[in-house]
Amino acid sequence: MSAVRPSETEPFDPYGPERALAYSPEDATFALFNDYATGRPVLRHGIRIPVPTEVRATWQRSRTPELTRSAGPMETIEGYGIFTFPYGPVSMGVPESGKFEVRTYGERILSLEPVTGFKSRRILTSIAGQPISDGALRIERLAGNFSAAHAAAYLAAAESAAGIEVPEGELWVRALAQELQRIYNHVHVLARLAEAASQNVGAAQTHALAEEMLRIQGSIFGHRWLFGALLPGGPRRHLDAADRRDLGRRLNLHSEQFERLWELFLGSRTFIDRIQATCPVRREEALRWGAVGPTLRACGVAWDDRLRVPVTPYNDLFLELSQESAGDALARMLVRAREVQSSYLLLEQMLDRWPRDPGRLLSPAPPVAPGRGLARVESPSGDLVYDVTASDGRVTRIGMRAASQANIPLFARGLRNGVFTDFHFAWESFGLVFAEIDA
Amino acid sequence: MPTWIGQAARNGIVTSRYPAEPATDAEVPETARPPIPLRGDAALHDGVARCPVGAISEEELDRGKCIRCARCRPAGFEFRGPVEASTGRRAELRVGSAAPAGPGLVEALPPLVGFPRSLHVFLVDAGSCNACNLEVLALANPLYDSQRLGIFFTSSPRHADVLLVVGIPTPEMAPAVLRAYEALPAPKAVIAAGVCPISGGAFAGTPGLLAGLEELVPVDVFVPGCPPAPVEILDAILRVHGRARTAGGD
Repeated sequence: MSAVRPSETEPFDPYGPERALAYSPEDATFALFNDYATGRPVLRHGIRIPVPTEVRATWQRSRTPELTRSAGPMETIEGYGIFTFPYGPVSMGVPESGKFEVRTYGERILSLEPVTGFKSRRILTSIAGQPISDGALRIERLAGNFSAAHAAAYLAAAESAAGIEVPEGELWVRALAQELQRIYNHVHVLARLAEAASQNVGAAQTHALAEEMLRIQGSIFGHRWLFGALLPGGPRRHLDAADRRDLGRRLNLHSEQFERLWELFLGSRTFIDRIQATCPVRREEALRWGAVGPTLRACGVAWDDRLRVPVTPYNDLFLELSQESAGDALARMLVRAREVQSSYLLLEQMLDRWPRDPGRLLSPAPPVAPGRGLARVESPSGDLVYDVTASDGRVTRIGMRAASQANIPLFARGLRNGVFTDFHFAWESFGLVFAEIDA
Repeated sequence: MPTWIGQAARNGIVTSRYPAEPATDAEVPETARPPIPLRGDAALHDGVARCPVGAISEEELDRGKCIRCARCRPAGFEFRGPVEASTGRRAELRVGSAAPAGPGLVEALPPLVGFPRSLHVFLVDAGSCNACNLEVLALANPLYDSQRLGIFFTSSPRHADVLLVVGIPTPEMAPAVLRAYEALPAPKAVIAAGVCPISGGAFAGTPGLLAGLEELVPVDVFVPGCPPAPVEILDAILRVHGRARTAGGD
């Protein structure tokens, strides 16, 4: 058996090969600083950069109608009985549309290549020219289960581009929505892992817990998926003292239930055995391919946007970094579980110290000179970057790098030498969402 | 020492009473219900300019386009329509200024021939944001437990009676949707769940995307919502079955 390995000498790219935002270096350098822990260049959050009125058309990331091969060059592994097994784009295993081309001789996965682009809704190109608030309606529907993170990042970038002052109360609401959704997503990942491991009672109980979080979001923001929650004039009502008391009470019950379930999962040998050493990611590999979020933190890199690029209200709240070193599916789940716990703690602090002035953003932006804003937000699956240029309250160009785009090559590489039954544990443990990759 | 059995017993039965009893507010939060123009024609008139997706016109409100963004609320719309808003005819999603408030009911559609017993459903994502996918998957969780009503999800279209499509069909997914439809044995039914497959929803008018699922395959039931709540999807599946869904009787 011979294997052609992809080139190991490509230049280091912090956003991952082929998924880089098309920043030209001179645009990017002023917005970057080097992080001392990783040596990675880092985008600053929410800064406003004046740009010439003439927007350079070359910047716009063009979407090709063809499907994208997203794990770099495909390894052509040949040998007796080896064939390419196509999985997807329609399958019940991964409940979204995306395809995997697996080189195998029947049991072991020799290499795996995700093929993305099936769900491309052309969101980024269709937003160009739209008012900021209308663009937001599409952005929050870019990835439904990460809607709060996408909306918060887009709005932060667009608002700094358009020079809009955001009232502090609004920032607290955004953080609250993001932490609720983080808990939902991590609990959902746990439920899916339990399902894949045939832990039926555990899966049912955990799915019920995830559903309870959707209901909490529904009762607070009027929408189970927080659509409209972060936008001016959307479904959200003002969060008054009674709402906060009610939310605090429900979150307490939710966290007690989570602790009980998590303790039971940690005591379940079959569950732990199944995810331990599954789809491992090494630290060097994670850094080279630009992994983000729980995937990166699970292999020993101390990186969390909420700590590294803190914004209101995170800079006033206590947050502990969740970190593991093994890099496998178990380590990723351990990181997620601790993040659920720290999110409960963050929410408790937020409710305790909720700002008196609920200030809402109501007036449209005053027309200002074109500007460009960058924002990064820790979405449930990791670092999310938005780059928005706006002029006269309209978006003129927009770029985005989602967590799933950064992490999918690590999924594909980690699964090499795994077996087919590892697939679902690997997929779920990364928290990947095709909707976010395809946009 | 905590055990799984103890944990399950502690929580007891959590399953919804729907459809034997009306859906609760916890199951259907505010914007999961369709909007109704409380101020009648005046609301429609004031709402036209506020609606970002063109669901409101001077004469009617098109629930098949409404993404429930609630921007029309100041014009006098309230999200109080019936949970059972799915319909077999696209035109019925367009309601005038005298739309009835929920929870109302709605007689069952004439049953589609050939589904006298349990119903097997195959989910196809034609280009969704993942919220609809997760709402469909939620039907399997203990709170909705679709199996108690004889509704099962299959992993092959060849074993399915119903094709449940979510998302706006992209040109990349269109051939796959078509192949899944053709693989379903007759008799078969198609449910378009959410406004994306009905009209494109928030993405309507994007160049390169299909205008709706009807361009590809015939649709039997339209489920408005962005995304529709699990009980609304459940209701649509029951509708395919031709089961009466009146509050208080099954």
